[in-house]
Amino acid sequence: MIVCVAVVGHQNNPLYIQSFTEADDALKLHHIVHCSLDVIDERVNNPSKTGTTLNEAFLGLLYPALNYKVYGYLTNTKVKFIMVTTDLDVRDTDVRSFFRKFHAAYVDAVSNPFHVPGKKITSRTFSESVTNIVRSYSFN
Amino acid sequence: MAPEGTQLLNQVLDNDPPTRGSKEYPEELRTPPVSLVALFGCSELHSSITTHLHSQQPPINALAFPDFSHLPLLLAPHQTSSFTDPLSDSSPTLPTSGILKRDWLLKHRTKVPALVAAFFPSTHIFGDPTQWLQVCSNLDTLKSVIRPKNIKLVVVVVQSSPHEVISEDRLLALRKRAELDSKYVLFLNDSELPPSLSRIASSFSELALAYYREEARRIKSRIDKRSSTSPDLIVRYCFKVAVYAEFRRDWGEALKFYEDAYHSLHEMIGTSTRLPAIQRLVEIKTIAEQLHFKISTLLLHGGKLTEAVIWFHQHKSSYEKVVESTEYIFLHWEWMSRQFLVFAELLETSSATVQSFSSLNQGTAETPLTEFEFYPAYYYQLAAHYLQNKKSSLELLLSMSVAAQKIDGSSDSITPSVYVGQFSELREKGEALTLHFITDEEYIRYAVSEAKRFQDSFEIVAWLKKSYESFTNLKSRRMAAFCAFEIAREYFGLSDPSNAKFFFDIAANLYRQEGWVSLLWEVLGYLRECSRNLGAFKDFVELSLEMVALPVTSCDDFGNLKNKTYGPGGPATVSRRESIHREVFALMCTETELTSSTGESGFKLAIDSPLHLEIDLVSPLRPVLLASAAFHEQMVKPRALCSITLSLLSHLPLPVDIDHLEVQFNQSTCNFVIRNSQSLLSTMQSGSQVENEPSLVLVPNNWLRLTYAIKPEQSGKLECLSILAKLGPCFTICSRAESPAAMEDSPVWKHENSVQSLPTKDPILAVFGQKATQVEEPEPQVDVTLGASGPALVGEDFTMPIVVTSKGHAVYSGELKINLVDVGGGGLFSPREAEPFSLESHHVEICGIDGAEGNDESESETGNIKKIQQSFGLVSVPDLKEGESWSCKLEIRWHRAKPVMLFVSLGYLPQGSEANAQKVHIHKSLQIEGKMPLLITNRFMLPYRRDHLLLNRIKPAPDSEDMSSLPLNEKSVLVVSAKNCTEIALKLMCMSIELDGEQGKTSCLIQQGGGETSGSANLAPGEEFKKVFTVIPTMRTPKLSLGSVHLKWRRQGANTEEACVSTTHKLPEVNVDASPLVMSLNCPPYAILGESFTYAITICNQTQLLQEAKFTLADAQSFVLSGSHSNTVLVLPKSEHVLSYKLVPLTCGQQQLPKITLTSVRYSAEFQPSTIASSVFVFPSAPQANSTAK
Repeated sequence: MIVCVAVVGHQNNPLYIQSFTEADDALKLHHIVHCSLDVIDERVNNPSKTGTTLNEAFLGLLYPALNYKVYGYLTNTKVKFIMVTTDLDVRDTDVRSFFRKFHAAYVDAVSNPFHVPGKKITSRTFSESVTNIVRSYSFN
Repeated sequence: MAPEGTQLLNQVLDNDPPTRGSKEYPEELRTPPVSLVALFGCSELHSSITTHLHSQQPPINALAFPDFSHLPLLLAPHQTSSFTDPLSDSSPTLPTSGILKRDWLLKHRTKVPALVAAFFPSTHIFGDPTQWLQVCSNLDTLKSVIRPKNIKLVVVVVQSSPHEVISEDRLLALRKRAELDSKYVLFLNDSELPPSLSRIASSFSELALAYYREEARRIKSRIDKRSSTSPDLIVRYCFKVAVYAEFRRDWGEALKFYEDAYHSLHEMIGTSTRLPAIQRLVEIKTIAEQLHFKISTLLLHGGKLTEAVIWFHQHKSSYEKVVESTEYIFLHWEWMSRQFLVFAELLETSSATVQSFSSLNQGTAETPLTEFEFYPAYYYQLAAHYLQNKKSSLELLLSMSVAAQKIDGSSDSITPSVYVGQFSELREKGEALTLHFITDEEYIRYAVSEAKRFQDSFEIVAWLKKSYESFTNLKSRRMAAFCAFEIAREYFGLSDPSNAKFFFDIAANLYRQEGWVSLLWEVLGYLRECSRNLGAFKDFVELSLEMVALPVTSCDDFGNLKNKTYGPGGPATVSRRESIHREVFALMCTETELTSSTGESGFKLAIDSPLHLEIDLVSPLRPVLLASAAFHEQMVKPRALCSITLSLLSHLPLPVDIDHLEVQFNQSTCNFVIRNSQSLLSTMQSGSQVENEPSLVLVPNNWLRLTYAIKPEQSGKLECLSILAKLGPCFTICSRAESPAAMEDSPVWKHENSVQSLPTKDPILAVFGQKATQVEEPEPQVDVTLGASGPALVGEDFTMPIVVTSKGHAVYSGELKINLVDVGGGGLFSPREAEPFSLESHHVEICGIDGAEGNDESESETGNIKKIQQSFGLVSVPDLKEGESWSCKLEIRWHRAKPVMLFVSLGYLPQGSEANAQKVHIHKSLQIEGKMPLLITNRFMLPYRRDHLLLNRIKPAPDSEDMSSLPLNEKSVLVVSAKNCTEIALKLMCMSIELDGEQGKTSCLIQQGGGETSGSANLAPGEEFKKVFTVIPTMRTPKLSLGSVHLKWRRQGANTEEACVSTTHKLPEVNVDASPLVMSLNCPPYAILGESFTYAITICNQTQLLQEAKFTLADAQSFVLSGSHSNTVLVLPKSEHVLSYKLVPLTCGQQQLPKITLTSVRYSAEFQPSTIASSVFVFPSAPQANSTAK
């Protein structure tokens, strides 16, 4: 189950963060998302060291945190998407397709002429479409 | 040796501070095993043998017994153990009561040798029969002890010298008695110890290897009978085989069998029924932990980092869900925490971590590994996390159950049993100590009492600190911040607010910077409590205000934080913000009497001490009070009113009433106060400007805009520094003023998607407004005039009168600055051209400033400053009263024709010598053209109708193209002309040619032609003056310097006393050459139409050689000619040849004579007379004038 998705801006500031859990751990998820930015930084700054290619937006598994797995995605405009899931056995292709849909929803949201780039995304439509995407994915 | 029972008791009673991590494991488990041998007899050799064996690679440990009487001690402790062990290795079929014996590994490392070496002196063997008998009996006893254990035997015969007699019979008997192969009967030579020692060591290690291999094989055969053996025993056997493999340094096999043991053990979960449920799992997990430790160590030491990490993950995931009892889950958390800790320590100490990750593949396809999983910090952090779980579950358990609370140190009699991972009760029955199985309740009681002994918090903090430092070194700031947050929370739990504050601050700084509001809110909530506990009132207010000003809008809008457990800050909601706001302002802004009852805030403070908060540009409190100031004009006049708009913005959730505002400028006279007219509190300082405003209320997220006029007194920069808001009797906030143009939102508000409003109504001011303005200087009432303008002439001292006239202002401490600036931009100084004339490095320079006329005496009084440099001058102006004037003359000299800009600026004080008076400045500038006064040219003329064959004119040298050539010793004419190229009439005083130096005087002779002695003439603009000189070169040289023309002149109409300006013009160099042939034309000055005349051409040979000359004469249309047209003549040395022609002119006017071309054969050079020289005027008849004269 996807428990949290986040959009993080250039200055590593949260633009959108939404958790999908009934449990009492939303703040913990915020911490996890925030910590995973370190991994993204490392991957992006030392691409040769970690063997990832920069041509690809999908960054793969960022790190396993307790009972969660954190995946990352970096758009061309250097906006980061982070997804936290509780499923331990996840196929990369599923995650990729999830991020692709998420990216499309993000593009729709920021293409709104009333959206100021770099500001938090408060669009209700975006929130709804993200919820739908998240609901449609359960990796097991 | 002490009985084992007491040893165990000592262990239990041992009250050393408990340690966690791999140090908890016994020494024998943590280090690789080393082969063990026992030595008997010849004790004097033991020490050297033991040291030698130790130094071997791999080393061998030795047990030394001085003589054979100590034989019973070998293997003794095992046999005399007071704990009855119903199971021995030899009875595999019986059910076991445990998996691994606690002391088995230690026993094999310290007590059971792989071989026994018996040392006998050679004299005992080859000498006295009684001694030989003794040897035999010793051997028999030894054999009887070691045979059942399959321990190897070596006999060493110690010789005192290499030449000792050896009886072959005895040796054979000895070998037979010992049942040994001949190679295990060794000879040790006392005198040649080192070679014998290495021989001994090699056979020892060989035999030890054989022993361990055989033992392993023996046990392996039991594993193969898997069906008939219980899983407990399989684990035990695999473990033993692995240990024996380790003895042999066969790491691969060791790893394989440890893994087998591990897997077999894992299968036992759920199948084993031997012990009560909890203890059963405790035992399995303890053994799994040890096996895992062994496997990880082997993998890491083998450099297989990735495999080790993957192995750890498997280990973690296979035991993650193996929980003994949900009620006592703290046991499981503690175990998990220890797994992470041990692995972190292993990773840290293992050298494999140093290797770079580039060589590592990132795990396998199904278990991808990430960077962080190779860092010990990651594991330390998780170890701490699990220990936190353990701590909280234990606390929960203790709070829930009364029984658990009562548990204290009463369960002393529970002790680890002989089996790893088992516990039993130690009961004393008279002298004997016996161990009894215990129930799960008893075990839990014991475990709880043990768990209580640990100070978990300190360990959590220690591990997190390690993790924090490590992440900081790795530049993983967010991970580090998270660790810092966890550390701080632990300290907070321990009621250590100062340490907690330190670490909370670290986390808060990062969250602030990156605008993670939800995380920041929580940290600030903790920090606020810390400051409350520390009694730091100012911090408390600051943190409260920061929290209140955070862009937390509502819980569902942003990240739907549905947390039911909050930090001490409470839920991040608008209502919570409002309540904190009220709390702080109630604390700060109420009357003195009321504040004493602030019991709930925990502050008992002397409220009469005022609280003052400073907010600068980087302060996190900026959103609380954002102050901007914008002047409406960029330049303002002094003492004139100028408008300034102050805008205040607050992100506080509730409106705030301001008592008064103080606006502070860098010119303190401009400071003013805005008073809320409703407020009664305000007490004003007298003297400053006071404005009244009907209400001063800061509405959340709305700019409060106030526009006022101020009157600046002083010129210069006027800047608004800060705005101080008084919110209560003792509460002031001072916010640094910002320019709207340079204003940025604070990091936490920057990304908020809220409606932007401008700080000023005027959008231009909002975008470009500045908090500073320039106040102009007062209008100067003094005039500076520059007297002259006209073009300056190069060479003369150009005089520029400067007049300072006071028109309303008196002048005090006046200073005149003069600057010359090149207009062309090329600079007054050009290094390339300056080289030959290094003296005049400036093309234009100030020569002097002539002090004020008639003010000479005052000049000395005022201590006149007078600094003059080539392009800069500084002159002090004497004090002038109103209406007075002062003048000086500036002399400027041009060396080159160049336009320059003259800047003159006067700075003065209009009112006496006041300390803070400001100088008034007047600037004047003038462009002055520098011009060349005279253009000097020169021309050479050769004698009329006399042509010299000058060879270098025909074949010019490459570098002398423009150079004129003169014949040697011939009189040539030099015409020098000077043209006035200015618009001013000049008077030329004299012109002369001066030869340079003695050499010039000897090489050439120059005379003034024409006989005019006075060269003086008036030159109107454009007029030209010519003077003729004769030049006779007397020396043959390719480069003759003719010196230079010296010209003295001055402006016409100027004072005659004034010195003339002298200008020099260098004459070009000439080439002087002797001419071998000279051709002179001879004809009458004029001809008459139809009358014949003689045209003679004389060819003069000036050389000592015979010259052959060809000549051709071209026909001319206007003449009839008699004589040869072309011929070759020979001219004798130093003689002349004359060609004579009769000509009859046919046409009137200036006519060209027939043109002769002479070719010298010797020099193969051709030359002609010039066209002007070879023409004649033809009259139609004899001139009348002439006839009348006749």
